[in-house]
Formats: sequence, C-alpha cells, structure tokens
Amino acid sequence: MRRIAGMAVLLLVSATLFAQAPVVPGVGSRKITINLWTHDDPNRSVLEKQFIAEFMAANPNITVNYNTYPSNRIFEALTTAFAANQGPDIFNVSIGNAVSFIDNGRVVPVDYKALGLKGPEELEAEYLPGTLDAVKRGSDIYGLPLELTNMCLYVNRKMLREAGFDPDRDYPRTWEDLVRLSEKIVQRNGQIITRRGFDFRYDAYPNIFIPMVEQLGGEYVSRDGKKAIIGDEAWLRALQWMKDFGPTGRNLGSPTYTAARTAFDKNNGEVAMSFSGLYQEARMKAANPDFFNSKDWMVVPFPQWKDAKKKVTANYSGHYYMVNAQSDKLRQQAAWMLIKFMLSHGDQYLEKVAILQPTRKLVDSPIFKSFPYSDVFARDFENARIVYVGKGSARLSTLLSEAIQSVMVGGVDPKVALEKLRKEAQAVLDTED
Amino acid sequence: MSEAVSKRRSGSTLQARTHRWGWVFVMPGILFFTAFSLYPILNAIWTSFHNKKLLSLKPPRFVGFQNYVQVFSSSDFWNSVRASAVFCLGVFVPVFCGSLLLAVLIASRRKAGRFYQLALYSPAILSSVVTASVWVLLFDPRGLANQFANALLRTSGVDYRWLSDPVMVQISTIIVYVWKTIGYYTILFVTGIGKIPATVIEASMIDGANAWQRLTRIILPLLKPTMALVSVMIFISSLKTFSTQYLFTQRGAPLAPINVLTLSIYRTALSDQNLGKASVMSLFLFAVLLFLSWIQIRAGGSGEDLE
Repeated sequence: MRRIAGMAVLLLVSATLFAQAPVVPGVGSRKITINLWTHDDPNRSVLEKQFIAEFMAANPNITVNYNTYPSNRIFEALTTAFAANQGPDIFNVSIGNAVSFIDNGRVVPVDYKALGLKGPEELEAEYLPGTLDAVKRGSDIYGLPLELTNMCLYVNRKMLREAGFDPDRDYPRTWEDLVRLSEKIVQRNGQIITRRGFDFRYDAYPNIFIPMVEQLGGEYVSRDGKKAIIGDEAWLRALQWMKDFGPTGRNLGSPTYTAARTAFDKNNGEVAMSFSGLYQEARMKAANPDFFNSKDWMVVPFPQWKDAKKKVTANYSGHYYMVNAQSDKLRQQAAWMLIKFMLSHGDQYLEKVAILQPTRKLVDSPIFKSFPYSDVFARDFENARIVYVGKGSARLSTLLSEAIQSVMVGGVDPKVALEKLRKEAQAVLDTED
Repeated sequence: MSEAVSKRRSGSTLQARTHRWGWVFVMPGILFFTAFSLYPILNAIWTSFHNKKLLSLKPPRFVGFQNYVQVFSSSDFWNSVRASAVFCLGVFVPVFCGSLLLAVLIASRRKAGRFYQLALYSPAILSSVVTASVWVLLFDPRGLANQFANALLRTSGVDYRWLSDPVMVQISTIIVYVWKTIGYYTILFVTGIGKIPATVIEASMIDGANAWQRLTRIILPLLKPTMALVSVMIFISSLKTFSTQYLFTQRGAPLAPINVLTLSIYRTALSDQNLGKASVMSLFLFAVLLFLSWIQIRAGGSGEDLE
C-alpha cells in the first residue's frame, strides 16, 4: 500500500514537472531525432540533461542526443561537421564564431511563432538592450543567449593579507597596481615561479587585452570595420606591459603555467589574483566549497590604466544557441521549442551554474542580486562592450593571440609584432567574401 | 599444328581467367584507394584553383593561380616550410643513430632481447594526443623536465622554458617525437640485422674479426638497404607530425617556431576557413611526400640501387 502511494506521489511530481515542457505540434507518429552539441561544463550538463529528459517525456517521439565538446575544440568540430553538411540541429557557439555561421547562411532565424511570440520586437524586449545585436541581421535574430560573460578580478584576500596588504584598501585598481602587488606576492625558486601574484586569462585576449588598448584610446578594428589597428601608441604600451609581465620581463606569469583561475579555486597558495566571469563562482563552489563559503576571496572591478583616456571594462562575450538551416522544418521548430524551454530556466542556470542569461527578468531578480559579487559584475557590465564580432572575428582573435604570445614568450619586439599583426589583420578585413 | 594453336588458346584463356580473378582481388583495394586517396587528391587540386570557404554554401569561384601566388608569397608559409625542415632534420639524427645503436645492442644480447624491444616499442602504441599531454606536464616550468635538466647540468632553479622559448620549444617537440618513435625504428633495424645470414657472421668470427670489425665491416654494410628505408620513413613520418605541435600551441607555446606544414594547413582550413589556400599547402606537402615515397619504393625494391 505504501509502495503504491509512493508511486502515485512520484507520478504526480513527474507529471507536474513534465507538464512544463512544451509539446511540439505536428510530430504525430513521426520519430524525430535532434542532435545538440554544446561546450562542456559539468554543472550545466547535469541541468540541461534534466531539461531534455522533461522535454522528451512530453514528446515521446522526439529523441535528443546531447553531446559535449571541450570549449576550445567545439568550433573546430562544428565547422568540420557543417562543411560536410552533417552539422547538429542545435549548437551553441561563442559570439565571435557565430558570425561565420550567420553570414554563411548556416543557421535559421528564431521561429517566433513556435516560441509563442509575435515577432523579433517581443523577443528583444525580454533581453537587456544590445545583447542580441551580435546575432541580429536586419530584423531577424539568429540565436538565443545561453550566457553573456564579462570578467572581473578574483582576489584571494588571505594571500594579500599575508603579503602585507589590506585587501579592502589595497586591492588593485590599475594595471600598474597589478604589477606592484604581483611583485610583492610572487615567489620563485630561481627563475621558476612557485607562487603567482596575478596571472592572465590567456584564452581571452579579446575580452581582456583589447580593453587595455581601448582604455588608452586604441582599437583593434575601426568602427566602420575597414581598418585594423587604431592608435599605435596604445597598442605598443599594452604589448610592452605584456612583455614586461611575462617570462622575458619581470617573470610574473606565463601561459605555460597552470590556468590561473583553476589554481585560484584550489586556494593552495599558488595564485592570488585571476580574471574570470561570474560562472567561476559555481566552479569554485564545486571544486572547493570550503573556500567558496569562506570570506577569503572577493571580486573587484576590471583594472584601468592610471592615465586611462577612458574607462573601459572587460569586453563581454558569451554563447548563443542556434539552429541548423539544413535541418528540416519540423526539427527546426522542435529545436527552437527545446532551446526556449531550456533557457526559460534562467534562474536555475544562474543558481547552479552561475551563468547569466541577459534577460531583464533575471537581472532584476532577487536571485541575481543575492549572488556573491553580482553587483561588481553588473556595474562593470554597464561600461562593457561586446568583443569584436565583425568580419573574420575568429581569425582576428587567433592573430591577436599569436601577436601577444610572440611578444610575451617569444621575445619579439612589440613594434615588430604590431606591424605583423596590422598587416595580417588588414588582409583579413580586405578579403573578399 | 592445330594442337599447338589449341594449346596456345587454352593457355591464353587461362591467362585471361587469371587476370580476371586478379582484377577481382585487387578491386577492393582500388576502390578504397580511389575513394579515400585519389578522389581527395583530385579534389584538392580542383579546390586549389577556387575561392572555397569552409562554411560557405555559395558555389566556389574559379580564381586561377591566385591561391598559389598568395601562399608562395606568404612569409608564414615559408616559415612553416622552415619549421618542418628543422623538425625533420632535428628528428632524423637522434632517431636514426639512436635506433641503430639500440638495435645493435639488442641484437647482441642473447637474453631479454624481446623484453627490450617491447619496452622500447611501448611509447609508439600511445596515442599522439596522450603523449603530447603527458609531455606538456613534464615541460611545465615546475615539472620534471626542469628538475632533471637542473640536476644534470648542476644548476639550480633555472627555467629552461621548454614550452615558451622559441628555440627550446622546437627542441621539446623533437624530444617528444624521438621518445615516441625510436622504438619502432629500433625494431626495423633489429629485423634487418636478423636477416643477415648467420654464416657470414660466423665466417668472419672464424677469420678472427672482433666485435667492432664485425659491426663496421659486416653488419653495417649489409644493413644499408634497411638504413635507406628507415631514413626515408623517418623523413616521411616526421613531415606528417601534427599532434605535439598542435597541443603545445594550445597550452601557450608560441606558434611561429613550431608552425609545421600540417599545423599550418589545419589552421588555414579551420581557423581561416580558406580551403583554397589549405589545398595549395596540402599539394606542396603531397609533392614532397611523393618524392620521398618514390625514394622509399626504390629503397624497398632494391637496396643496391641506393648504395
């Protein structure tokens, strides 16, 4: 009797949960398989698999295959699959790489009708201003944001105190401060760094390095998208800063050490300061709950130059879910409904994965406001610009990375590296479509 | 007369039948080669004359020799040729000499020869990605490579910058490759030494030749065909190296010093999405490999030709 009652409660709970998932009209007895590719994030995968299970329960003839790829490989996997016309029905890709898919006609605009919306205006009204611009062409919107991320500085308060600083008063506000604090905190065994004061996000130059240049009045690509490298002086100063910071300069950090954000979460005295997004809080919580729950860390705004010409915070980037233009209409409709269903749980994405969908509802919600240091991220976001998302953005990002690393670890003179970057970046902008 | 004609006829029928069966047996191989080798080669030739983008759905536009001109006038391409050449030559000397030396040592041992062969060959069965990942950890500034180098050179706390210095990163890729492949070539040399008739060695011993004389006067001269084969194989396989360079650059190593041709092709096709230029580079690499393969076939067919 108790077992029957238990089953009944389970069914009732399941029915309540599954009732939230939409039923795709027109599927009938057809068996549909939807392939979804996304970059890996263990916390998010658990959540999304749960949403997919609910969606499949509401649509028994639809099977969703959920596949994850390392974040630095998914673009290559996607381009290879799409080149062979074997792309997945749903995928998420970073803003910088989304351009190639949209401009080559590989993805379809949002199916507003399937989402129960009157048109793009109604969809845009749900999001913060400008956050859909990267995936907008004319009046059509080609993707829904899974997350938008700006980066701030995570600081280990304990390590700052141990180095003789008062973290609340002395936390780094400028790039010059970062070097000064790092010099005090760094420990080496000869030339080998055993403790870093600060280290970069070497996979995020468009987010972090470009704002350094922009603070000094430079730009990577002119506003009209025609000229590469504006403001040589700003570029040379920022490149010289990187050279001085790296192993051929003051030897404060290098891309060949363990990623700073991963080491930061461990709180083992390896790194005192590191850049990352809000999502790092969920990763820290999973990796080191004691540290997360302690008062030994904090998040502070993105640094500026002492003599910055304008305030520029870290450029934001993120990922958009998109739908393959080569899938048939019914699968496209089902795909958009699944995406919308998953993303309708923005509060859970924030609470469990610490990723922020830029909807007005979520940003104004108590859950976001109660999130540790969400106010720091939100204030920086107000001054943030999106990473460059124009012509050849993926290639320009690669060229930028090569230029900086040639200066920082390869010992190349900043002037030489800048000239090479200018020539190659200009060639990308000048290339015919 | 008619009997002779009949015999000749039945002979030619038998020959025709044998030929027919021959075609049947080689057909799977021909089909496989056509689908997976010939078609891609022809497609690459066609693509090299077109402006073809990886994700574009538009029909590719014919651009004549534009891709060839752009590639051959690009300093990045010639840097890749340099990187590949340095890697090949850097790998050749230690792999060739090392594997030959190890093979002679193994062949001279009566006991545990198989064990040494197995131990030396074991890195070859590891996936290249796994190998590179393990070595990335060893080359970490706080990793074993620095500790070992400091102990060996009696220095303290020196960072040899295995992954960041432009020269050291080239040496690092060579070390990984040598470690992974030396066992394979050792086994080829052991096999070559095993083919030398025991009677020749015995005769030299009866004539009073010592171990050094046997090695330099008997074994090495008779091993020349194997040496020629191994030399060409090392060049061909080292030209196709990719995983180590790819993974090292993913972990922060500077690209230019180790941007070998295969990596450059991969990046041109996937990052730049320019299949036209990538095809030109592929055809260049193909031509080099074809030339080396021709030498290999000659070496394999008749060792004397190369002596």
